[in-house]
Amino acid sequence: MSEKKIIKTTCKSCHGGCGVLVEVTDGVITHIEGNPDSMTRGTMCAKGLSSIQHIDNPYRIKYPYKRVGEKGEGKWKQISWDEALDTIAAKVKEASEKYGAHTVATSQGTGRGYNRYTHRFSRSMGSANVISPGYICHSPRIGLYGLITGYGRLYCDYHGWGGVFPKTQISWAKQLEISSADSEMCYWYMKSLDYCKNLIVIDPRATAYTSRATLWLQPRPGSDAALALGMINVIIQEGLWDKEFVENWTYGFDKLKERAAEYPVEKVSEITWVPKEKIIEAARLFAIDTPGCIQIGSSLERQANCGQTLRAIIDLMGITGNIERPGSMVSWVLPETGLIEDVFNEIPLTDEMRSHIYGGDKFKMGAARTCNPDTIIREFIKGEKPVRVWISVGGQQIVHMANTNQVVEGLKKVDFMVQVDQFWGPMAEMSDIVLPAAHWLEIDDIYDMHPRWCIEAHNKCVDPPGEAKSDAWIFNELGKRVAPEYWFKDVETLLDHQLRKAPIKWKKFSDNIISGCYGPDQVYYKYKTDYWRKGGGFPTPTGKMELYSTVLENLGYDPLPYFEEPGESPYSTPELAKEYPLVLTTGFRSPFYFLAQYRNIPWLRSFMEYPTMQINPETAKKLGIKDGDFVWIESPRGKIIQKARLFPGIDPRVVAATANWFYPEASSKGFRGVFISNPNILTNDAHQDPMYGSPDLTCLLCKVYKCKPEELKDPKFGDIFTKEHGGRPWAW
Amino acid sequence: MRWGMVINLAKCTRCHACIAACRIEHFLPLGMTWPRLIAWETDIPGEELSTIPVRCNQCKEAPCVEVCPAEATKKREDGIVYVDNDKCVGCRYCIIACPYQNRTFFSKDKDPGYFPGSERTRFEKAGHKLYEHQAGTTEKCDFCLERIDAGMAKGLVPGKDREATPACVNTCQARALTFGDLDDPNSEVSKLIKDKNGFQLHPEYGTEPSVYYIDYKLGNAPSNVAPREEQTASHLQHLSTMEARAKQIFGKK
Ligand code: SF4
Ligand code: SF4
Ligand code: SF4
Ligand code: SF4
Repeated sequence: MSEKKIIKTTCKSCHGGCGVLVEVTDGVITHIEGNPDSMTRGTMCAKGLSSIQHIDNPYRIKYPYKRVGEKGEGKWKQISWDEALDTIAAKVKEASEKYGAHTVATSQGTGRGYNRYTHRFSRSMGSANVISPGYICHSPRIGLYGLITGYGRLYCDYHGWGGVFPKTQISWAKQLEISSADSEMCYWYMKSLDYCKNLIVIDPRATAYTSRATLWLQPRPGSDAALALGMINVIIQEGLWDKEFVENWTYGFDKLKERAAEYPVEKVSEITWVPKEKIIEAARLFAIDTPGCIQIGSSLERQANCGQTLRAIIDLMGITGNIERPGSMVSWVLPETGLIEDVFNEIPLTDEMRSHIYGGDKFKMGAARTCNPDTIIREFIKGEKPVRVWISVGGQQIVHMANTNQVVEGLKKVDFMVQVDQFWGPMAEMSDIVLPAAHWLEIDDIYDMHPRWCIEAHNKCVDPPGEAKSDAWIFNELGKRVAPEYWFKDVETLLDHQLRKAPIKWKKFSDNIISGCYGPDQVYYKYKTDYWRKGGGFPTPTGKMELYSTVLENLGYDPLPYFEEPGESPYSTPELAKEYPLVLTTGFRSPFYFLAQYRNIPWLRSFMEYPTMQINPETAKKLGIKDGDFVWIESPRGKIIQKARLFPGIDPRVVAATANWFYPEASSKGFRGVFISNPNILTNDAHQDPMYGSPDLTCLLCKVYKCKPEELKDPKFGDIFTKEHGGRPWAW
Repeated sequence: MRWGMVINLAKCTRCHACIAACRIEHFLPLGMTWPRLIAWETDIPGEELSTIPVRCNQCKEAPCVEVCPAEATKKREDGIVYVDNDKCVGCRYCIIACPYQNRTFFSKDKDPGYFPGSERTRFEKAGHKLYEHQAGTTEKCDFCLERIDAGMAKGLVPGKDREATPACVNTCQARALTFGDLDDPNSEVSKLIKDKNGFQLHPEYGTEPSVYYIDYKLGNAPSNVAPREEQTASHLQHLSTMEARAKQIFGKK
């Protein structure tokens, strides 16, 4: 008689948190589908469903290993957990004593519910040098919302809890429809569209929604700040701003008005390549048909003008009164468990710790709680040793940071590196010790995607392969060895501690699956109540929403938003543009990959075997490129190969490359193919946002030309391009 | 009763979840895919990008049924066209006869295992027991007839109750897929076809597909007022542990 169980759990194959039902028969997963009794009502995407191919995946790391050859040689010796953890702890202690705690850096990938462990670990051992991709994804938004409204987090109110849905929606450099990212959930967004009057999509490429939206604006990558300022100007010139809100609840409107006047629509149209009629229409729709919200994509945070772009967009929300109204931008009332991030906030950063944040003197906004990774790499290149011990969890800094060649050179100089990961990838190949991490189907943990209106439970469905462990376990064990006063008896105690503010313990929460605050529990118009401030107002220095930021002024930044050309563009570097005539943008969303993940999942890889670049047929014809050809994309930093896809939905002057690409199937040498197709070979770390340090990853210059067949046979590519489909399982 | 599907081209985001759900539901070998997505891209303003999800149309006048010499491909009372793989002789006449290319021949080389050269995963091994695929026969989408039959046996309604509804329909986050009875004028599918001018692919083939398509501009919603059940989040409230806290902070509820 076989034993069949249905286990309720939560997917984090993206930032989503979709509810999942897992059927386990005699210890084997026999089915996965969405949980109808959850926020996402039983829906799941291809990434989440394909988790089934994480189980028994031969690319998994199953045991702790230590490197016995050179970096990138792929020679490893299996070791015990005790040996691994003791070695790491000894290295951490040694570096702390000899060179200071700040020389121990903890890095992570995009926030997937383990942020709190990396930060708590780092703080518990006395270092504020957490290396996170936050500066190119979501942190600038959170920080600037915080600056302008005083409260850190504004999200689109897609739920109807305040009585209405947004009437006008702007989807700006974002495809929320194909991945739940940055605390938002695609299911709710798409549902809200049934109640939407105007859908405005701002994207340099056509998408499913641009073709059906009320309005599609197709800006030149990197020109978004000008577009936002142009829209602000139209709204002010035409007297369409929200008088009541601006008058009573904002600070600095007149100064913003003056600044925006520097962006007349004709000029903005020239900068952005968007016809002026469309800019005017978008501005009018957003100002008139309220409430409205703006979904901001992280491509805007991968640009050296990121801070000002976001400032401008947030001011656009402000002058239209789209703050804290039902159906606009709101900040969530948290579930009764409170801010899960308090698990690390309860160990405050001291001034001493802060003073050692790399890049903190320069990128003042970014240094709120993390360091600037590019600064660290440059220090290494200069011959310094800013970091002695680098503990990396789940992230692929090699892949996502600008200027891959420089990053690899820098990382080779770290004395001691650890990678905690599920799969063999470039960062693991770079490490001294590799630790096997468990997948969400294999762990008990709490899922919190930044402060959303709920937290959820991951319930273990099957045992992890080999000796793989959950992130919670790994950090707790490491923490106990390094700073025992801050760590816990076991994982369950650690989980209970995170729930301590609510009358609930892990066991019960695991059954409930979710703790949320929705429907009538959410509070709107907080600024009209005592919620933030006695007598009403925003928790900012002026008590108002600061269209003109007094905080930025004090930090020495321009208190008003402005547009600046990307470091490399046809206008900022016209000489360079002669040799590299095309604008290159990288990193559009793919529905089957999440950032650097899932190239080793056959079902997902089957949907896109090789990294694909999109090019307008007109441009391709001039260059003699046919659909499906392999092409070189070249910048002053190097060149990469991607497969050309002729796509009329992109401007003839622009090409878009698939980002974050390495080949998990490639050999350890060459760090799993990270030099072959990854667009960050092309990007430049020299131009960085003054507030956050974000480099121009999504707007630069390139040239494109056809790859000769014999070039694909270069031995350094192994059999990636030559063997029929590389003989790989995703040949289908 | 005739089961049918309405596919909303305005909502489909080309996310590929329906394909993944079908692969899981039927333990499809690596080289097999029943539903497909056809990418449609033009330079016509406003029609730059579309995705046309296709799967077996469960045609009323199904040429694949007619040509099958082994009586392996058959049509049920409820309109579902299915293959009896025990009878299929692998002649592949039906594959040629289907004007929509919605059938696939399953041969051994399409089942190299998820990870050729490595041991089969436990999920695959379980699949071989629970949902056998017979090499040398033809396969296609069958509207998840096992779900429909098992669900209806429990008194559930396909298209309404999840357990009786095709896997791809359940998983679609965009809610681009709707399932139901085409013979019932009050079913969701019939209403969508009527209200949104549903159409079939290539009606000129004369096969009377049971899969319909709709397309329209997004936006233009007559009202942005949330229905009561959305405002109260009634489907989530039983999952809420907020009550005590809400009272405490906001003095309400
Ligand atoms: S949207 Fe994200 S959380 Fe939901 S199923 Fe897909 S990967 Fe998982
Ligand atoms: S799951 Fe839905 S949105 Fe995704 S491709 Fe299929 S039909 Fe389209
Ligand atoms: S779509 Fe093809 S396989 Fe399906 S019923 Fe029609 S003819 Fe037969
Ligand atoms: S209806 Fe069932 S068999 Fe057909 S495509 Fe959808 S999931 Fe697959």
